[in-house]
Amino acid sequence: MTTTTVDDLGVTAAGGTSVRAARRQAYMNPYLAGIGLGLTLLAAFVIMGRGLGASGAFSAVMAWIVHMVAPAHAQANEYIAGYIGDGSVSPLKSWLLFEVVGVFAGALLSGLLAHRVRWETERGPRVRVGLRMLMAFSGGLLMAFGAAFARGCTSGQALTGGALLNLGSWVFMLMVFAGGYALAYFVRWQWR
Amino acid sequence: MSAPFFKFGLFGDETSLVVAFVIGIAFGFFLERAGFGSARKLVSQFYLSDMAVFKVMFTAIVTAMLGVTYLGWIGFLDLSLVYLVPTYLAPQIVGGLVLGFGFVIGGYCPGTSVAASATGKLDGIAFVAGVFAGLFVFAEAYPLLKGFYESTPVGTVTMPQVFGLPYGLVVFAVVLMAIGGFYGASLVEKKFAAPAKE
Amino acid sequence: MKTMLSRLGLNQKLALAAFVLGVLAIAASPYRGTTATIDTKALALEVATEADHVEPLDLAAWVIAGRADYRLVDLRGEPEFGQYQIPTAEHFPLATLMEAGLGRNEKIILYSDGGVHSAQAWLLLRASGYKAAYVLEGGLDEWKEQVLFPILAEHPNDFQRARDERLKSVAAFFGGQPRTGSRGGPVAMPMPGALPAPSVVGPASPGGARPAARKKKEGC
Repeated sequence: MTTTTVDDLGVTAAGGTSVRAARRQAYMNPYLAGIGLGLTLLAAFVIMGRGLGASGAFSAVMAWIVHMVAPAHAQANEYIAGYIGDGSVSPLKSWLLFEVVGVFAGALLSGLLAHRVRWETERGPRVRVGLRMLMAFSGGLLMAFGAAFARGCTSGQALTGGALLNLGSWVFMLMVFAGGYALAYFVRWQWR
Repeated sequence: MSAPFFKFGLFGDETSLVVAFVIGIAFGFFLERAGFGSARKLVSQFYLSDMAVFKVMFTAIVTAMLGVTYLGWIGFLDLSLVYLVPTYLAPQIVGGLVLGFGFVIGGYCPGTSVAASATGKLDGIAFVAGVFAGLFVFAEAYPLLKGFYESTPVGTVTMPQVFGLPYGLVVFAVVLMAIGGFYGASLVEKKFAAPAKE
Repeated sequence: MKTMLSRLGLNQKLALAAFVLGVLAIAASPYRGTTATIDTKALALEVATEADHVEPLDLAAWVIAGRADYRLVDLRGEPEFGQYQIPTAEHFPLATLMEAGLGRNEKIILYSDGGVHSAQAWLLLRASGYKAAYVLEGGLDEWKEQVLFPILAEHPNDFQRARDERLKSVAAFFGGQPRTGSRGGPVAMPMPGALPAPSVVGPASPGGARPAARKKKEGC
């Protein structure tokens, strides 16, 4: 791992390079990070017999909220009821949700160690904060639909299923890249 | 001793949640290390200036795939007990496409948006909110979408089964493809290197 | 060779390692398939000590108590299962047992008409790593003898009277009818087909829906 301090995001404020920005470490060698990620995934396979995931945790929380607000409505909805089960176990007692809480903690730890934690909105120089937030929200909205249809997101389908040579996961992965590249040109203004 | 440990009953449901948290920490740590807490870094993949997404993802896939292959081969890991998501071709093709759109518009995917939120990215938090909203809308519309959601089921199949090839051969092909891809990515990055920082 | 290796950067070394591992993996077949190996001595010991059995009256008590920590598997054919099944049983004919999705860590109790099929299924499960597989002692035949149509003493003493009361209530729970007389003698046992389907009161609901409903989605 390199420990050179560079401002790799180019987000220095007009007032000059802030000390905190200057202390930000460069990101890890992608191949070493990939091996770390792969070994984490392998550990999940060996210990649990399942892979990693993320969107399932969101679904569990969503189901929990709907169940809190309108229990009858949640039970009547087949998709939500699938996360609630027979009601004997809280939907929050979900493996993926605990894993995602771990993701939050792990990312915070890594960010703190590398001096990369601070409040900011990532955007191109000509994009207002409000617009960027709207784009991020819309992206999340679309992604939820994609992940729900595909029965998983980049973690649960592409990464996990990819390593297991799952047919649907590889089809899914190709389509994610295809979709990304197809639309990239039209939203490039976000980052320029 | 045989793996997967959980499926052989080495520990129960309560302990598995602790395991989930610990594995999640490692997952989040490496996501952030790789720079995946940053939308700018992630979308660079689609502007060809930084292929880290491809590199990290395929290195992880190759690492875990080789691990699974060897551990299964020596009889330590019973691969038939590792959960495989069943394949539904049409919804997964459309889902992948839509998810790709969401990725390049929003700048994150569900896992990386959590890592971004953890490091203080406000757009990451907006993305998380968007995912919740989207899932709620999907659930509400589920009676309408169910037909498509459950269409073209293929069952739990792996690529070696589909192509009728030995498992090991497909593993080798994926490794070759990844190494070739990494080499290609380094060339592409040179060509489309990000313009000087503003 | 050494100088060549040292000239490679970290990324090239990693690529080389991946390539070598990939080449070696060509011969690999990680899925175990349908073959299994067994520890014959350990299994023989289990059989000899009858640690692999569940008594019909114990099972009856579990059903009545509504316990949910076991999976009861009926190995018989479709028509037999349709005619009568022990409450809470799930139907997996022997040929489909290995694909039934039973957990390796679940307590599985097997039964068939007699004891042969369930004993064979028990061996298959144990050989495939199912740790807690049990056979209902004597199968359905013994279930009828002991639970549905238990023999009460003709001239009970105090001890027998208490036992018979318990047997009567158990038999009544499952819709059976106690009888008196010596075992093995001519008894009027209604054929399974004529047996009224016992209605289970209590939390135990019949069929495989029970564990499936509790299980939430496993994928991402």
